[in-house]
Amino acid sequence: METGSLVVSKVCSKSTVTRCFSKYPLKFMVPTKAAPSHIDAVWIYTLTYGGGIVSGDCISFDVTVEDGCTAVLTTQASTKVYKSVALKCSEQIMEASVGNDALLVVIPDPVTCFSTARYSQKQVFRVISGSSLLVVDWITSGRHESGEKWDFTLYKSTNHIYVETRPLFLDTVLLENGNVTSIAERMQDYQVIAMVILLGPKLKHIQNQIQEDVKKMMSEQLHAPSMGGRTKAINGDGYTKPPLIASCNSFGPKGIGSVVRIAATTTESVYRFLHSQLAGMEPIIGLCPYR
Amino acid sequence: MEEVKDVTRRFSSRESAPLLQWSKWQLLDSILPTGGFAHSFGLEAAMQAQIVAQPQHLQSYIIHTLENTGSLLLPFVYSAAASPDLQTFQHLDMILDATLTNEVSRKASVSQGSALMRVSSSVFSEFPSLKMMRNACLSNGDVCFHHAPVFGLVCGLVGLDGETCQRAYMYITMRDIISAATRLNLVGPLGAAVLQHQISLVAEELLTKWKNRGVEEACQTSPLLDTVQGCHSYLFSRLFCS
Repeated sequence: METGSLVVSKVCSKSTVTRCFSKYPLKFMVPTKAAPSHIDAVWIYTLTYGGGIVSGDCISFDVTVEDGCTAVLTTQASTKVYKSVALKCSEQIMEASVGNDALLVVIPDPVTCFSTARYSQKQVFRVISGSSLLVVDWITSGRHESGEKWDFTLYKSTNHIYVETRPLFLDTVLLENGNVTSIAERMQDYQVIAMVILLGPKLKHIQNQIQEDVKKMMSEQLHAPSMGGRTKAINGDGYTKPPLIASCNSFGPKGIGSVVRIAATTTESVYRFLHSQLAGMEPIIGLCPYR
Repeated sequence: MEEVKDVTRRFSSRESAPLLQWSKWQLLDSILPTGGFAHSFGLEAAMQAQIVAQPQHLQSYIIHTLENTGSLLLPFVYSAAASPDLQTFQHLDMILDATLTNEVSRKASVSQGSALMRVSSSVFSEFPSLKMMRNACLSNGDVCFHHAPVFGLVCGLVGLDGETCQRAYMYITMRDIISAATRLNLVGPLGAAVLQHQISLVAEELLTKWKNRGVEEACQTSPLLDTVQGCHSYLFSRLFCS
């Protein structure tokens, strides 16, 4: 049961939203002037009525970005997932297809699951060799100020990328408070986890820049123990856990794609990281993400 | 050599239950030359990032890694062992290559899987299909020889049942991380042996939770460890490949 459908096509050589259907609880907003007029990119905001996803909500929509077009999908604020009632799970599914020489940029705010929430999301991207794709997928531990840290029951996020029916990237992260280990134990003091996927010819230069930046940043924070671990505390040298850990690795044949994984102690530090690493997107989509 | 041929002729079937035990123990023994000693399963990176800063963090690290092995890799062992044929193996190998999005663990999986395939096709010569499959995949060029499907394939052909194959995979993972921990000086050999025995209780619970699932259900449950393991190539000085 489709809750929404979006199509972006070229109209008079400009990327234009030519189909925009949505029904409760989903809504799309397409501001007429998001990017400067000399940049060909259309921005679409996805919203949910009430500002969040309620127990049992099921939202599914598809997006088609036709040849040569550039589309940006984003949110107005972090997606809040409210507590689960009667063990119901809420779900969000997006299926996107990106054409030749086209670019789809998915840059939402993070998901925040409240205590006892159960939430699952799935994003499937079907691309061809000339398509470009940027996807940011991230989650915070909950309402930290209220002491909710990884207090939700279940969070599952699936991101699949297929290049002409062949699977290229199949990732599912499952965070469930179980009987053997709790999510908080697995996350230690980190409150945010994020993933950035970059793929395609239009993003090659950004991929290379991020690889170098992350390597430089992390090399300064990783320290080999100066003596063996057993004789005294290993970090007797006085090193502490980095407040933000990131790693950037390539995937796919000939390393055509890059995936950056981030774990951080604060949401703000991840916003800053994303803003700085994705600054190169401004000339392509008109605005710098995560200002 | 005459005596050896005589002996093997007398035991006509290698499928008898006692003889199966010998094959099983050989597969689980770290002396099998598959290169597992070169990998720390992200432990070295975790130490340098201070995620594992004290020896007492080691137990949690191993348990979280084992849980991730269960959720992400056991489906591939299970499916390969259930249908130990060429088509299934090639399909699982392709899916796992797309599923292991962490380049460090992907390369480690290919290196261990290739070694296991090469060793097994020579060792278990009573299964000529293993050598045939290996050759077919090598000439194909598209096959990576990922560890989990190779392990399932070999165990399945040798005759181990599904649950035993999956338990064995969890066992060798735990064995290799603990071995890496001793070489990283995080724990001594005796302490390592004590730890291994203590963790086996939890490992069995994890096996019960994650066994017998299809590959479409494969997921990762420790994104922090995945992030840290991905930093392995940034380590200035390192003992291990991954």
